Amino acid sequence: MSTNPDINPIQFEVIRNALMEITEEMAIALRRSAYSTNIKTRADFSCAFFDRQLQAVAQAFTQPAHLGSLSELVPQAIKTYGPENMGPGDAILTNDPYRGGGHLNDITLISPVYSNGELLGYVANLAHHVDVGGGAPASIGAFQEVFQEGIIIHPVKLVHAGEMIDDVMSLLLAQIRSKRETAGDFRAQIAANRTGARRVDELVQRVGADLITRCMNQLIEYTETRTRTELARLPKGVFTADGCVDNDGFTDKPVNLTATVTLDDTGILFDFTGCDPQRPAPVNSTYAQTFAACAYAIKCLIDPDVPVNSGFYRAVRLITPKSSVVNCSPPAPVVGGWETQVRLNEVIFRALSSAVPDQIAAETKGMMAQVGFGGIDPKSGNLYSYYETVAGGYGARAASDGPEAVQCHGQNTENAPIEEIEINYPVRIERYELINDSEGPGRFRGGLGLQRDYTFLNHEVSFTILADRDRWGPRGLLGGKSGLKASYLHKSRNQKRALGSKTTVELIPGEVISYRTSGGGGYGLPYDRDPQHVLDDVRNGKVSAQRAQQIYGVVIDTSRWEVNQVDSEALRSAGKV
Amino acid sequence: MAFQYRLGIDIGGTFTDATLINELTGEIQVGKVSSTPSDPSLGFLEAVHRMLQKSKINPEKVGYIVHGTTVATNSIIEGEIARTGFVTTDGFRDMLEIARQVRPSLYDLQFEKPKPLVPRYLCFGVPERLDATGQVLTPLDEDALRKAAMSMRCEKVESIAVCFLHSYINPEHEKRAGQILAEAFPDAMISLSAEVAPEFREYLRASTTVINACIRPVVARYLQSIVDRLTAEGLKGELLVMQSSGGVLTFSAASEKPVFLIESGPAAGVISSTYLGGVLGYQDVISFDMGGTTAKVGLVQDGTPQVTKDYEVGATAQAGIGRSRGAGYPIRTPVIDLVEIGAGGGSIAWVDSGGVLRVGRQSAGADPGPACYGKGGKEPTITDANLVLGRLNPSYFLGGEIQLDIEAAHRAIKNRCADALKLDVVQAAHGIVEIANSAMVNALRLVSVQRGYDPREFVLMGFGGAGPVHANRLAAEMQIPITIIPMSPGTTSAMGLLVTDLKHDYSTTMIAQIHTVNPNTLDQSFSNLETQGRASLAREGVKEEQMRFVRQADVRYVGQSYELTIPLPSHELDTTEISKALENFHREHDRTYGYSAPQEPVELVNLRLSAIGQITKPHLHKLDNKNNEIGDAKKATRSVYFSESDGFVECPIYDRYHLGSGHNVKGPAVVEEIDSTTVIHPGYYALVDEFGNLMIAAHKNT
Repeated sequence: MSTNPDINPIQFEVIRNALMEITEEMAIALRRSAYSTNIKTRADFSCAFFDRQLQAVAQAFTQPAHLGSLSELVPQAIKTYGPENMGPGDAILTNDPYRGGGHLNDITLISPVYSNGELLGYVANLAHHVDVGGGAPASIGAFQEVFQEGIIIHPVKLVHAGEMIDDVMSLLLAQIRSKRETAGDFRAQIAANRTGARRVDELVQRVGADLITRCMNQLIEYTETRTRTELARLPKGVFTADGCVDNDGFTDKPVNLTATVTLDDTGILFDFTGCDPQRPAPVNSTYAQTFAACAYAIKCLIDPDVPVNSGFYRAVRLITPKSSVVNCSPPAPVVGGWETQVRLNEVIFRALSSAVPDQIAAETKGMMAQVGFGGIDPKSGNLYSYYETVAGGYGARAASDGPEAVQCHGQNTENAPIEEIEINYPVRIERYELINDSEGPGRFRGGLGLQRDYTFLNHEVSFTILADRDRWGPRGLLGGKSGLKASYLHKSRNQKRALGSKTTVELIPGEVISYRTSGGGGYGLPYDRDPQHVLDDVRNGKVSAQRAQQIYGVVIDTSRWEVNQVDSEALRSAGKV
Repeated sequence: MAFQYRLGIDIGGTFTDATLINELTGEIQVGKVSSTPSDPSLGFLEAVHRMLQKSKINPEKVGYIVHGTTVATNSIIEGEIARTGFVTTDGFRDMLEIARQVRPSLYDLQFEKPKPLVPRYLCFGVPERLDATGQVLTPLDEDALRKAAMSMRCEKVESIAVCFLHSYINPEHEKRAGQILAEAFPDAMISLSAEVAPEFREYLRASTTVINACIRPVVARYLQSIVDRLTAEGLKGELLVMQSSGGVLTFSAASEKPVFLIESGPAAGVISSTYLGGVLGYQDVISFDMGGTTAKVGLVQDGTPQVTKDYEVGATAQAGIGRSRGAGYPIRTPVIDLVEIGAGGGSIAWVDSGGVLRVGRQSAGADPGPACYGKGGKEPTITDANLVLGRLNPSYFLGGEIQLDIEAAHRAIKNRCADALKLDVVQAAHGIVEIANSAMVNALRLVSVQRGYDPREFVLMGFGGAGPVHANRLAAEMQIPITIIPMSPGTTSAMGLLVTDLKHDYSTTMIAQIHTVNPNTLDQSFSNLETQGRASLAREGVKEEQMRFVRQADVRYVGQSYELTIPLPSHELDTTEISKALENFHREHDRTYGYSAPQEPVELVNLRLSAIGQITKPHLHKLDNKNNEIGDAKKATRSVYFSESDGFVECPIYDRYHLGSGHNVKGPAVVEEIDSTTVIHPGYYALVDEFGNLMIAAHKNT
């Protein structure tokens, strides 16, 4: 490498490979030994390695929402706790949302790494815990201050010299509904850090601490160079867009968001001045969450091969008004912060659509679409809680339709198999299907939304919806139309009523919650859609023949599965006038 | 006995390899013909002809023909599948399209989900429902099913997959559906999820069943065309197909459950390693197979290859958790666990936008191939780097079939890498090799250290055309004490076809806490699987004394959703043995994940049974003891680069075909044979054993 003559470029690449491998191994250890579905199946976690200066060196994660999740939290937690108070074999625990954290469910464990008696850095992992106490099962719900949301953990020591501190564990578990799962997940987090520390030590034994330190610095510099080189290729300019979260769960007042993205010779800057002040409602994004939205947007614009470490994070610059919905202060509730965070990504991409129209997509599901429920399992008599998120339609792109039923932006968590849920929890899933006619029409159409119907057996249940999009569907681009908005229906014996998108309801046995997410926005004019594509959609029942005619101007002969060319052309040319 | 030969035919993308073994002498002959992708059975037949002519044997003397094929995988990847219908529980017909609801790539806003193998208009939800205990909540609506059958018939469907919720625990609705469909639509081939992959997790079971259904007509036609042609040629031997988990199936069993053939090609290399290791007395082997485009690493413990049940067809191979799932079509049938990385002889070296030397991602393939092939390739590859370092012989590549252009290799490395890095060409070439090695070391760590195995307790089996060039260096890095380079490493993989047994895998889901399970119930479930296995083997003519049944169970702590597969004794179980298995589980968990929780309740998830019909194994051919001196095998000297020696050293070059049993080749040295080159580093030596294997180890005094 030309910038640092001390390190042989070959050694550098070899050690870089080894450093990346460390966090991968931590991730495997965590995922495979965790207890809760959320970690093991849905992979809602992140592992990282920091150097002594608290710079992130390597990070492994499958959820882009975790970009930057540890890079803010870990340095602050270590400074707060005091690095001098952390010895070999120790580990501290934290989930503080206002000091680099997100919602309370994301709990991070940090361990110093000593090798030959010398501090070399820190390994850390963050995992989404299924329950952290608070006012509703799974710790999601609409509250007005953070204290109702669950246990807040300032940095506290959980492991001392390799031994779990039982008093702390016992205090934590006392606050939590799903004690067995949570205890198992903590053990898995400890195992992951042990794996990481052991691997760093092995690497030190092989190549020496000095060379590793120099390589880590070099890796961070290298990453910064590559990130800047990539950003410099984008068109310059100032790009702005607005959007909103539909409501805040307590009032119908939309939560206004605005993003101004500046691309110039210094790189990229995200300015969120103009976003609403924070609310006593579950719509506040923490600084770290907003940071993650910006980091994700950059990642989508540059070569995906660029590694993620402090060198990359240095390129992420943002302006966030204090005590706003994009940088909240205590005691603002944080549980719904992800709903705002993911919507910010929609606004950022909308702003960028005039800069790089071919690289982005129309609006997507654009929410986390969270589900939490719990009660007393009639079989075991124990309290249980369950958490999951539901996919929706993706936005259409310049040259392709939006995929159906898929997670968006920061979120990429898998669905839990229905059979597995029904084996483990007293719930039945009655329907899990695409929603026909929910696409945002366009030359390329948005993806279809998803319906999941829940009913509960022989017991009463608290059911929480923490989502959005129940007033307006995802918007299209360049003439594309909005996707169908989401709806959350409560069906009891005699009636069907629409629930709000941020609410907890009590259900009696036999009642059904029908959770229906939005379709993606369209791209381009619907009349420009290739009639053959419309035919395919009608044939597959995704779009009705009537809708094909009304919205796309395509007449389908459903007995022969053909496009009626003459009638379609007549319809389209009449419509264009 | 009338049969004396065993023939293996392995069809790859470019070449079809044939291996013939004389069961009496252990002598092996190999041959190669071009593959014929439009009709692979032509290449198959051509290979058979070539082998029979070359060896001048009577076709009637061939007892077994074992086939390794990519037909199953390719038909999925290339979309050449049968028109298939999918029947499931009402409310869930989009199961295949929803899949795992994730994006296969995280930061690509233009991503696509894999297209469902069955279009939505051929997916049918039929009213019926079971609960998680198998109780019927809604009886099967037979009229609705008949209507679906009529629609599929009108749509000219060839094959049907049926997967109802919770059918793994109660298959009655699926069985009834199978009968109704067969009555209403007798021409269709029907695959029931409860028969193909009776395990819980509906999408994975459905996906496995659908893949089986989609490829069944294709594979059945293909295998039948081979049968017809071979019969016409007078070959009467037993026809067998390699499975993805090792073991072979008869052609008729393979035609019923072709999903077991997915990825059968790469499995053969690990099977070979297992067999060779066994013959030489090594039960714990790491198999390292490096060819033109990728390197494949697998692990064998206690003489058994590691198997995975978490595989996606059509997903590009990538190591690590950072890879997203959802890029391909998952199957739950067992597949030999391989880590495959883009580091083969043809992998391209490049300098990225941050000024760092990288290897992989792209391969020069066979055409234009590495720059040194002189076929117009401008990109430097691992082969070019090895050539510049003197490790390969420019005039003896593939026995001299291709003359390598060392100047072209130099130029490519200089233009694409060395100049940008301000290094000289040799330093850059060495960098390319070292970086490729570090990626391969990661792959080796992934299968060993990451899964709790200590590589120092294993031997490394290095083969494939490029494997022996790198194996010694990788073993040194991993502290693996012994590296074995078999004779003719380019054909080691194909040999795997000839050394494996008939095998049928069965499984059933039984979710229950282990301490509540009555050993008799467990025994009964295994016996039921055994009855199926015994019947299949008997149908294939296997005698009772050649049958072997291996019992395993997938076990986890209550609340986890990943299972560990634990062996169980193959005879009647009692409580002591269940406790032993339990201890075994805690130990495995500790090894794999770094902790165990013996106080936590443990549950059974799936029972697995392998029914094995043992086939006599061929003997390895021993070297003729020519009493020659090692000096006779030395054919030249050449300058070869070793970083341990800080540069080029004059190195003896040996002709492998002249090395004799007991010869000791001191490193630095190079051993050449037609299909590969073995590099022995300074500080190491290679001992030639009685079969001609090179056993590489470190000098004691260094």
